[in-house]
Amino acid sequence: MCDTNKNIYLPHLATVAEVVDETPDVRTLRLVFQDEHVRDGFAFRAGQFAEYSAFGAGESTFCIASSPTRKGHIECSFRSVGRVTEELRRLEVGDSMGVRGPYGNSYPIEEFYGKNLVFVAGGIALPPLRTLIWNCLDLRDKFGDITIVYGARTESDLVYKRELQEWQERADVRLVKTVDPGGNGPEWDGRVGFVPTILEETAPAAENTIALVCGPPVMIKFTLPVLEKLGFGDEQVYTTLENRMKCGLGKCGRCNVGNVYVCKDGPVFTAKQIKAMPMEF
Amino acid sequence: MKKYISQQNLNTLLDNLIAEGRRVVAPRMSAGIPLYEPLTSSTEMVTGLLPRRSAKEAFFPVCEELMSYEKEGQQVKLTDVDPARFPETVLVGVRPCDAVAIPVLDAVFSWDYKDEFFLERRRKTTIIGLACTTADDACFCTAVGLSPTETRGSDLFLTPLVGGGYAFESCSAKGEQLITNHKELFTGQTKAKTLPLAAPQTEKIDVKKVKGWLDEHFEDPLWDGVAVRCVGCGACAFVCPACHCFDIVDEGTEKAGKRRKSWDACGFWKFTHHASGHNPRDLQPKRYRNRIMHKFKYYNDKFGQTLCTGCGRCVRICPVGIDIKAIIDTIMNSEC
Repeated sequence: MCDTNKNIYLPHLATVAEVVDETPDVRTLRLVFQDEHVRDGFAFRAGQFAEYSAFGAGESTFCIASSPTRKGHIECSFRSVGRVTEELRRLEVGDSMGVRGPYGNSYPIEEFYGKNLVFVAGGIALPPLRTLIWNCLDLRDKFGDITIVYGARTESDLVYKRELQEWQERADVRLVKTVDPGGNGPEWDGRVGFVPTILEETAPAAENTIALVCGPPVMIKFTLPVLEKLGFGDEQVYTTLENRMKCGLGKCGRCNVGNVYVCKDGPVFTAKQIKAMPMEF
Repeated sequence: MKKYISQQNLNTLLDNLIAEGRRVVAPRMSAGIPLYEPLTSSTEMVTGLLPRRSAKEAFFPVCEELMSYEKEGQQVKLTDVDPARFPETVLVGVRPCDAVAIPVLDAVFSWDYKDEFFLERRRKTTIIGLACTTADDACFCTAVGLSPTETRGSDLFLTPLVGGGYAFESCSAKGEQLITNHKELFTGQTKAKTLPLAAPQTEKIDVKKVKGWLDEHFEDPLWDGVAVRCVGCGACAFVCPACHCFDIVDEGTEKAGKRRKSWDACGFWKFTHHASGHNPRDLQPKRYRNRIMHKFKYYNDKFGQTLCTGCGRCVRICPVGIDIKAIIDTIMNSEC
C-alpha cells in the first residue's frame, strides 16, 4: 500500500495551475505535483479522495474531481465554508499547497462496462460524479446510454457550467439540468423542479443500468425511492458518503458510520450497503 | 526457586541505562500526580500508585510534530520528522492493564498504512511490566479476561516479592536482550513468596455476549439513559490506555509552523462536526454510544480485540460519575 518507514502524514507539494470560480462560493483548483516522480506516478481511480493542505490552516478532505484519464494534474472543487477552505480559496495561480492521497475505494468502473449509466447529482455534489463522468466519456465505447440529471437551487449554484454546455451539445450524452422552483432566470433553458421529481419524469430504464447518485442528504433521501420505483435494485445504485475526516487512513477514528470507516471502506457504497448501515451520517 | 532481581540491582539497571543515554520512562511524581515520565534517577520511580494517565503516550504522545512548513513567496518547503529523533527507551514499572493495551494499539497503527510515529517508538522501546498488588473499587481488569500478572505487552515482567526485590521472567526477544546486556544484575535466585496480588472485586464480563447485544442495539433507550449527564469533557478518552483517536492541526503563522497530531476524543461535539454544520453525532448519547461501540464492537469487528483493559481510569476521573463497567453490566444483564 505504501513504502515502509515513510511518514504517511507528509503531503506532496503541488502548484496551483488554474483557478476556476464555479459559483460565487465554489472554486475549482487545478493542481500539478511539483515532484516529477509524483507527477508521473500519482495513480488514482474515480471515486477516491485526498487531503488538501493550506499550510498554516490545516487539511480538508475532498474527492479528486478530475478524471484519472486526464494525466498530469488533478482537480478539486470545494465550497468555502471553514478555515481551511477559506485559505485554499486564497491560493492563486503559482502558489504551493499540499496533497495527500489518493485514499479510499473507488467506483468499480470495469463492472459498468456494457451498461447504461444514469448520473444523478445535486448542487456541490457533482464533483464526485464528474470524475467518473469524464472517465466514462473518455472510454465512451465501453458504455451504453449515458444520462446525467443534475440540479441546483439556482442557476448560479450549478457547477462546471462550461462542461454542462459541452455535455448538452454532445450527441452521446443526455443531460437533464434543472433548478429548484424560483431558481431560474429569464434565460434558463433547462427544467424547473427538484432533482428527484425531474429524475422520475426523465424515467431512465432500469434494465442493464447503473445509477450513481450524489447530493445533499435530503436529495438522496427522496431520490432512492424514485430509483426503486423505476425498478432499480439496491445493488444497481451507487453513492458516496462524506464524513468529516482527518487522517484518511483508517486511524483517527471520526469518519465511521457504525463499524464502517468511510475513509477505508468507502467513500463509494451501493444503496444496499448504505441501507445496512446505522443512521449515523 | 525463582529468578530474582533485587531492588538495588533494578535501580542499578535503570541508572546504568540512563547513563548509557537511554530514555527510561517510569511512574514518577509530577507536580503531585503520578505519571509515566522520563527519569533522571532510579530513585524517582514510584510503584505503589497507578499513574493518572496510561503508558500509551510513550508511543503516542499527547501532541507531536508530523512535519514543519516554511513559505517563501509562492514556494513552500516541508521538513519531515526524522524517526532517528525517537530515543531508545525502556519503559519500566508498567501496569499490566497499560502494557496489554500497547499490542492492542499495534493493530490500528499498523494495518494497511503504517504509522511510523507509533511503530518506530514501539521498535525502540523495551517494556518492563510490573505485577499489580493494589486494586481499588474502579479496577476491573479481571472482568475483561486480564489479570494483575498478565504479561502480554511486556518484554520483561517483574513480580514483587515479600521482603523486597522482584521475580523476573522474560517474555520476548527484547526482554532476553536486556537481560543478556546486563546479566550481572540478573543472577539472583530466591524462594521468597510473591506479595499478595491485586484482587479487583468485579463481576466477569462476557465480551461475546456484550458484543452480541451491541450488534443489535445501535438504537436503544440505554444510550439516552447513560449519557444524559455526560458533559463531553473527553477526560475518559485522555486517560484511557486504548483510546487512540487523534486530530491533525497546523500551528504557526502563515509563514512558518508545524503540523501536529494530538489526542482527540469521540465525546467532543466538534469531533464529527462537518463544516456545513451537519453533525452525524449531534447529541451526547450518540457520542457516548460510539465510545462503547468502538471499544466492545467496532474494534472487535475489525481487529478481533477489545479496546478496554479494565484499568478503571475513566471511572475514577469522570466528573459526573459515569461508570463504564456498570453500563457493560447492565448490557450483560439485559434480557434481549
